[in-house]
Amino acid sequence: MNYDGLRVLVVEDEPVVAMCLEDILETLGCETVGPAGRLAEGLALAEQESLGAAILDINLAGERSIPIAEALRRRGVPFAFASGYGATPEGFETLPLIEKPYRAADIETALRAILG
Amino acid sequence: MEYPRVTPTNAAYAIGGAYPKMSQAEPDEPLPVGEDEFRMIADSAPVVVWVTRLDRTRSFVNRAYVEFLGVPYDEALTFDWRRIIHPDDAPDILAKSIAGEASMATFDLEGRYRNFQGQWRWLHSTSSPRRDAQGRHIGFIGVAHDVTEAKTAELALRDSEAQLSAFIAQSTAGFAQVDLEGRFTLVNDRFCQIAGWSHDELMGMRMLDITHPDDRTRNRPLFDRAVAEGTPYTHEKRYIRKDGSVVWVNNSVSVIRRPDGEPFGVLSVTLDVTRRREAEAQMRKSEESLRLATESAGMASWEFDLETMEGEWSPNRFDLLGMPRRPDSRGSFDDWIDRVHPEDREMVRAAAQRCFATGESYTIEYRVCRADNREERWLQSHGSRIDYADNRPNRFVGVSFDITTRKRGEDELRESEARFRTIFEQANDFLITTTLDQIVTSVNPAVLTALGYAEEEILGAKIGAFMDPDQLALSMHAFDKKMREGGTTRLTVTVRARDGRPLIWEINSRLTTDAEGTPTGLHAIGRDMTEAKRAEAHLRLLVDELNHRVKNTLAIVQGIAQQSFKDATDPAIARSAFEGRLAALSEAHNLLTRQHWGSVSMAQIIGDAIAPHGDAGRFELDGPDLSILPKTAISLALAIHELATNAVKHGALSQPEGGVVIRWAQIDRDGRARLSLVWEERDGPEVVTPTRRGFGTRMIERGLAAEFGGTVKIDFRPRGLTCTVDAPLPEGAA
Repeated sequence: MNYDGLRVLVVEDEPVVAMCLEDILETLGCETVGPAGRLAEGLALAEQESLGAAILDINLAGERSIPIAEALRRRGVPFAFASGYGATPEGFETLPLIEKPYRAADIETALRAILG
Repeated sequence: MEYPRVTPTNAAYAIGGAYPKMSQAEPDEPLPVGEDEFRMIADSAPVVVWVTRLDRTRSFVNRAYVEFLGVPYDEALTFDWRRIIHPDDAPDILAKSIAGEASMATFDLEGRYRNFQGQWRWLHSTSSPRRDAQGRHIGFIGVAHDVTEAKTAELALRDSEAQLSAFIAQSTAGFAQVDLEGRFTLVNDRFCQIAGWSHDELMGMRMLDITHPDDRTRNRPLFDRAVAEGTPYTHEKRYIRKDGSVVWVNNSVSVIRRPDGEPFGVLSVTLDVTRRREAEAQMRKSEESLRLATESAGMASWEFDLETMEGEWSPNRFDLLGMPRRPDSRGSFDDWIDRVHPEDREMVRAAAQRCFATGESYTIEYRVCRADNREERWLQSHGSRIDYADNRPNRFVGVSFDITTRKRGEDELRESEARFRTIFEQANDFLITTTLDQIVTSVNPAVLTALGYAEEEILGAKIGAFMDPDQLALSMHAFDKKMREGGTTRLTVTVRARDGRPLIWEINSRLTTDAEGTPTGLHAIGRDMTEAKRAEAHLRLLVDELNHRVKNTLAIVQGIAQQSFKDATDPAIARSAFEGRLAALSEAHNLLTRQHWGSVSMAQIIGDAIAPHGDAGRFELDGPDLSILPKTAISLALAIHELATNAVKHGALSQPEGGVVIRWAQIDRDGRARLSLVWEERDGPEVVTPTRRGFGTRMIERGLAAEFGGTVKIDFRPRGLTCTVDAPLPEGAA
């Protein structure tokens, strides 16, 4: 599957993990936006950038990324959650949850699920 | 006094019933003596004398005759005696008189006549026939004695005899008289009745013959002594009746003496006491039963005379006090007091003496020391004074029984109560009792402390006052279950402290019941689970957090691995880099763990990160003691590791004289606190800007920047590499 030129927002507060995710997405042909490690930063990108998809870490240095998810939904941007534990936040139960640590295949599966 | 001549004027009855007819009898009826002589004799006699003729007319009356009637002589000759006879005696006298005269023989009459003074006098008359020389009956001559005195005495005697005999005959007492050899000489009917032998039979027997063989030995010396010394005695013994039955008698025996003092017999007054003896035997039996009953109930009885202060004890009273039983079963007040425990002695003595003095009964509990083994036992004693209406001395009676077991039971109960009371008072758990209407009846201090109420605010209140309606509903549900099924319920409810704080209590409760099993109330033991629940929630949070961190750390490790190996041309170098990074990560974790994942010191993080890369002397650290969040600390540690690794490989630390200065400071810009951190390498080889930016650079410039939310810039200046961080002072830093 090739997602050439697909602009994917990366919201991840852990720099090493964010770098890793960027590499995966780039391997898949995507263009990454971010990474955003903080809620405000991520929210700004979600609202302003032109996006084809997004991967959201649920927990951002103690804050939850729900407002970003809501902004993306409003804009009709497909996205998936990534988290080390738990479940998708309330209201977003139908969305895929990528469990950390993840492999490239997990990201690809999630993208396929949200992009159809 | 001149006597008229006797002239028959009319016929009259006179004593003896003859009619004096002296005048006509004169010629042929010669007097025994000369007439004058006769008159003189007759007049001087103290008796009444009269002479009658055949025709019953009186021919003579003497002076006493005239004086009795108190009428003149002539009138006396013709006086009708029938007028003065006592009505009670008249029929008898008249009948006998007529019969006597008809018999022509001597006859006697006796009766009461009224004299001229109106007094009734008893006269005894004797009338004898008179005959002439030829033996022809010519009348009667009568003599009458005044026998009033004798008669009165006789009557009195007869009355007294009648009374006595009636008394003796009707007496409940038998009378028996025996001679000095013991032979019956006189018995009354009652005695015969009692002894069961007839009068005639008894007259041929001796007293000992009818006495029970077992009683003879005892009886004989008493009798002999009475005869010999005149000592009266009273005793009880048995007679054997003719029909073989036995009768118990009480005999009061005394000697009878002649006027000269010589004893001639022995008199016994005999009472039948068989029934009394039976009653006594019955009573003894009852008493014995009572005693057996009291003894088998462990009760010992005793009594004593308040004058002598000693009396009879029941055998088990000796046992109770550990004293040997005494043959006479007697013991004293002091015997008792001596056995009382010294500490109780005064109390016991005082109670007893108050009873003796005032008659106030007492019930006391006290200790005794048994005489035999010194064992201490508890007794309960009840004592009463018995007062007699007569002048018999007051007595004291008492019962005692051993209550040691009960007492020890009480002590144990008391101790147990005290123990439970202590537990109740000091328990950290909540102890609560309520009625079946949920009204609180008792709470222990722990409840008061936990809820912040005073005891009086809780007691009497309903439990609903201390919990929200939904929680009360839970409680009532559990209560209904207990009422239905019994047993214990365990319930976690939220109660409200006085200040409204919710407290989570775990409450075990069950119903209290009476002897029949009917519920009487509820008691509950509760424990505050608020802290435990909080800790539990915290723990759950920690576990979740831990899971999150582990997963996150694994993700970081994965990232590091990916970055370390993705472009590696030399696997050994890649692996070494990977291991160095893992070590840095691990070191950062160690620090965070020591700080319990709280804020950590920036100097510490930096110090730990550089430590593996050279002597401390090659680094110069300069900055305030800022603290940063754990997550930031990990990124910082990894960034410092990358910088140090690069410095060792390519930068200042690749040469012995090279060093690194790390400075950080809190600065203000536009009124906001910012962090300024500079990594500056000195005295190293000339720096060449790398053609390709690797993981380290990327990690530092982008990752750390993102982490700090600021800018991070690496300058490959020829004199030495510098890295500058400019970021808002991270939240949580101070």
